[in-house]
Amino acid sequence: MLAFLRKNQIVLSSCSCLLLALYILNAHARGQLKNDPIGPILLWMLRPMQLGTHAVTGWFSDVQKGFGTLSGFKTENERLRIRIQQLEAERNKLLEAEATNRRLQQLLDFRAQLPPGSVTATIIANSASTWFQSCLLDKGSSDGVGKGMAAVTPLGVVGQVISTAARSAKVLLITDPNSGVDVLVQRTRARGIVSGSLEQKTMMKYVKRSEDIQVGDRLITTGLDGVYPKGLMVGTVTKVQKQNLGLFQYIELTPSVSPSQTEEVLVVKVETNQTKN
Amino acid sequence: MKLSFLFFAVGLILVLLQTTLLHLLPLGPIVPDFVLVLCVYWGLYHPTVGAVLASFLLGYSVDVVSSPILGLNAFAMSMVFLAVHLSSRSIWLHDPMASAIVVLLASLVKGAALALLSAFFLSVESFWMSASFYIIMEALIAAALAPFVFALLRRGQSYVERFRVTA
Repeated sequence: MLAFLRKNQIVLSSCSCLLLALYILNAHARGQLKNDPIGPILLWMLRPMQLGTHAVTGWFSDVQKGFGTLSGFKTENERLRIRIQQLEAERNKLLEAEATNRRLQQLLDFRAQLPPGSVTATIIANSASTWFQSCLLDKGSSDGVGKGMAAVTPLGVVGQVISTAARSAKVLLITDPNSGVDVLVQRTRARGIVSGSLEQKTMMKYVKRSEDIQVGDRLITTGLDGVYPKGLMVGTVTKVQKQNLGLFQYIELTPSVSPSQTEEVLVVKVETNQTKN
Repeated sequence: MKLSFLFFAVGLILVLLQTTLLHLLPLGPIVPDFVLVLCVYWGLYHPTVGAVLASFLLGYSVDVVSSPILGLNAFAMSMVFLAVHLSSRSIWLHDPMASAIVVLLASLVKGAALALLSAFFLSVESFWMSASFYIIMEALIAAALAPFVFALLRRGQSYVERFRVTA
């Protein structure tokens, strides 16, 4: 028996891992996995490195932008080029500081319009998988961020917090196929659900063929889903197609917030009637 | 076991790269799957119980940072490890081209496992059309990266083993 176990230990342990993964999947899908013991430890191990790499990434993109700006100065001599690089680096730093200042000021102004208790957070990492559109925030449950809270910016909706650790939180972006935002068309008040797709398209679903939707229409949150505050911008309609068959129209939109270009978000909790009671 | 810990640490760094620096590459939404390549390497050249656990944990850490449901990548990576380990009994690889092919097949196995589980546990409309595109693209990119990553890992492993012998 022992010899058999020893001989097949890798296959047996792999099968155990497969069964454990299936158990976790099933339990998580049914909402029975309340306490995840490993996840917070992994996040705790990754967080400092992610913060560091985030800083390095920022430096890389600064350098990238700097090179782009300097591409027109090929004919100038070495001394001037070095001087320009120095000035450009300083300018980039100042512009970055000014842009950060402006963004944070906008966030502060925007925060005043939101329900109390919102938390400002920085996006420190993106999805590690092609299949899911998510990001990690540098604030977690110890900062007041909770599951189900909305991540928004003054430009519009970013996504929804789907899990938290003590010092970080995972946000499912509105461009993910598994997300859903209750929206209405600002012009006609027609309602629908905005969701992403694996083809990197964001769509408004379940809008009746009879509704008048046009390219350029703005979509805003209804506030009825209990996740996002009412009246936040979600996106602009870019394509409307009424197919020959079917109950609904095919509507594509451009989200108002591009997650890849967003650095800070506000995490807000909407008070529904249930939570008030 | 120590080597497995070391490899696991390397794996965590790869997860870190996948969540940050690799997003700067002009590949659109596709993230090169270094974790998969590492799991294939383990299945071929370092098949131990530690490597089994490390594959599971690395998949789980990908789930923790990016997947809406826990266990998807943990299952897929364990699956890849097992498939590669079982097939490694009948193949012996030292040719970069052959390692690329094994990674390509392993990536297809992982993609199929992910797609099946996603279809089962997450209800995404018109899933298969777009999923198949990403499965193929991810597999091709992983296969292209495999010979370089394998060479690096092999060099690192032999360095660690030589260091252990001399110590």
